[in-house]
Amino acid sequence: MTDLIFNVFILLTIIPCFWVALSSNIVHAAFSLLITLFGIAGLYVLLGADFIGVIQVIVYIGGILVLIIFGVMMTQRGKLLPLSIQLPGKLFGAVLTGVILAALLLSATRTLWPVAAVLGEPQLTSAAIGDLLLGKYLIPFEIASVLLLAALIGAVLIARRSVRGE
Amino acid sequence: MQPILDGLTLSPWEPGLFSLAIYGLMVLGLVSLLLFFASWLGEKKSNPEKLRPYESGIIPTGSARLRYPVPFFLVAIFFLIFDVEAAYIFSWAISYDSLGWAGWLQISFFIFVLLLGLLYIWKKGGLEWGPTSKQD
Amino acid sequence: MIPENFIQSNLQGISFIGPELILTLAILLILLVGVLLPYWRHRILFTILAVAGLAGSVLPLWKLPQPAPDLTYLSNLFVWDWLTFLSKPFFAVVGVLTILLTQVTGEIDNSEYSECTILVLAVTMGMMLLVASTDLLMIYLAFETMGILSYLLVGIRARDERSGEAALKYVLYGAFTSGTMLFGFSLLFGLAGSTDLLAISQKVAFASQHPQDRLLLIVAILFFLAGLLFKTASFPFHFWCPDVYEGAPTPITAFLSVGPKAAGFVLFIRLFYPLFATGHDATIYEAVSGLDWPSILALVSAITMTLGNLAAIHQNNLKRLLAYSSIAHAGYLLMGIVSLSDLGLRSVVFYLVVYLFMNVGAFAVVAMVASAGGSEEIDSYRGLGARAPYVCVAMAIFLFSLIGLPPFAGFVGKVYLFAAVIYKKIYWLAVVAALNTVISLYYYLRIVKAMFLEKPTETIQIQVPLSSRVLLLALLVPTLGLGIYWQPLARVVSGMF
Repeated sequence: MTDLIFNVFILLTIIPCFWVALSSNIVHAAFSLLITLFGIAGLYVLLGADFIGVIQVIVYIGGILVLIIFGVMMTQRGKLLPLSIQLPGKLFGAVLTGVILAALLLSATRTLWPVAAVLGEPQLTSAAIGDLLLGKYLIPFEIASVLLLAALIGAVLIARRSVRGE
Repeated sequence: MQPILDGLTLSPWEPGLFSLAIYGLMVLGLVSLLLFFASWLGEKKSNPEKLRPYESGIIPTGSARLRYPVPFFLVAIFFLIFDVEAAYIFSWAISYDSLGWAGWLQISFFIFVLLLGLLYIWKKGGLEWGPTSKQD
Repeated sequence: MIPENFIQSNLQGISFIGPELILTLAILLILLVGVLLPYWRHRILFTILAVAGLAGSVLPLWKLPQPAPDLTYLSNLFVWDWLTFLSKPFFAVVGVLTILLTQVTGEIDNSEYSECTILVLAVTMGMMLLVASTDLLMIYLAFETMGILSYLLVGIRARDERSGEAALKYVLYGAFTSGTMLFGFSLLFGLAGSTDLLAISQKVAFASQHPQDRLLLIVAILFFLAGLLFKTASFPFHFWCPDVYEGAPTPITAFLSVGPKAAGFVLFIRLFYPLFATGHDATIYEAVSGLDWPSILALVSAITMTLGNLAAIHQNNLKRLLAYSSIAHAGYLLMGIVSLSDLGLRSVVFYLVVYLFMNVGAFAVVAMVASAGGSEEIDSYRGLGARAPYVCVAMAIFLFSLIGLPPFAGFVGKVYLFAAVIYKKIYWLAVVAALNTVISLYYYLRIVKAMFLEKPTETIQIQVPLSSRVLLLALLVPTLGLGIYWQPLARVVSGMF
């Protein structure tokens, strides 16, 4: 049963990706991305990474996707322009993607991954992550606050420019 | 949130993934049924008046695809940044008990830095709505 | 679950990240002054605060114990070795020079100046953390702190289309390459089950014996290279470099060309040497069996320097020209990484220190001429030698040093790099580099010729203020001094590996 649901989430993740990449309408691409991100959140939860799943929903679906759609609304004036890529670019991209995909698939299947001998019942990860973030990884945690602060400053700087530019 | 293993229960009444799947299928079925009935039974006489976008009875003027003003975007970015901050604080809140006062001090510094950020965008007029801000 | 021991180790290790703490305090102070005291918003105040923060940040370093290769702290997130010890002051100097250059040239508007200093300090902090990190998580966070904030620095100039375009190009390339690198990290994490470089290196050494695992390691190395070659502006991830360097404000260009580039090379040493090379004692390393990354990198090095030098020939914009020259120098620096020996690593660090002064110097002259009424085009340098002799002589010295002519510091640095490859018997690379030096002679000397031998086309008077002259002098002294008396630096560097 869990396998079936897991597979459903995998399909939910992968199929909209084709829309994201191939759609010539940027709004369709953005909404397909929404489904993909949701599918990933589902995969996280099923893999026992509940904390990451919640963060995925809060940050990616709730935040970044909204930002993307806002970005589309802000920059498009009048009719939406269809995106198009020339054929040589497509060909090159296809070959490169094929090679990388083949290498990744081969390495994923051939590598001797260290797998725990006994798979216990997945534990809730949130509390452990909290302990690690404010314990072992305290410095990265605090550095992240400085990074976020600087990002805030940068956002104001860049947006003020476009306010003035109009 | 309880991880569910296979084969233990397959009853739709027990809380778990199986019942969730049943529920999801039922919702999907109900919604598609309603949509199907609506399109099957409804009137399908179309004329230009009907196809026009509805704007509370006023005849639409121009395209609806305007450029949104920049403050929308700014607020979206602020939301995202504080959203990420909330995610960090969430992780602290969950393990609040085991972290104790040391954890409290650490998260206080974190929040203090971001409060300074809030102060900055406030003073810079990042939260002001409308075409004119103090800085210009 | 009880993090008591973590608290202990955090308290003990906190003194090791004193520089970063002081920089954070300086950032918060500048932010508060900028926001709460609007009448104090003078450039000079922010400059003083920022320079004081950077200078203060290196002070705690001398109170710390003797660096050692295995002295890790803060739960093995960081290492306190000689590379860290030398890198932190190096980046502080980069930051100080950038801020002083912004101050004397006045390139950034007053309304954005405090933000500019904050961002420079924060990027410097990111670089300092990056060079000390030995944990994939910390490395990536520091890498992105450096990256994201330098995108902002590039786009900082308001009402300038070019600045915005450059920032966008930088963001797109940067996001792509650092995402690729992160994927590489995740592969190694999956293999080792740990983010600690030491644990990963043991697992990699073990895995490289198994043919099944080799493909994964190759993919990981290639993905790592994407991020590192982007930061160092090397082939095939160098396309952003000319546009970004041209569009960014010149002091920021100078900053990018030495700061993140140097951080990229240090990260090269931090990642590739423990992970994919073995043999510490013999001062010569060997690539982990079955993975011939040095050969790939040697090819990349040769292509990078050739491309950079050939493209630089046709440039008329000095910032663009120096951007291509900076790509070529990334190629030269890669020679040291390729040579897989202590000599090579020393020569990389030595050259980075020398490159800091001469490259910032060249960009400083460009910024000063542009702000004194000239432009960045080579036309406005015609006959400049007669009108602004001091600046032009300084420029000539920086350019001669960039070529690698004696008796300037660049010569000594290049000799070390060449020695490293010849020592490892990679003769073809040394020949390519020598040919490239000859090509580079042409376009560097073109500027010198324009300055001293050609008639001026414009008659604008160039007035360079005293503060700029003093800053140039501060850059000239090491460029000349290290060319004649380089032994102290060489001694410090040779103690490192």
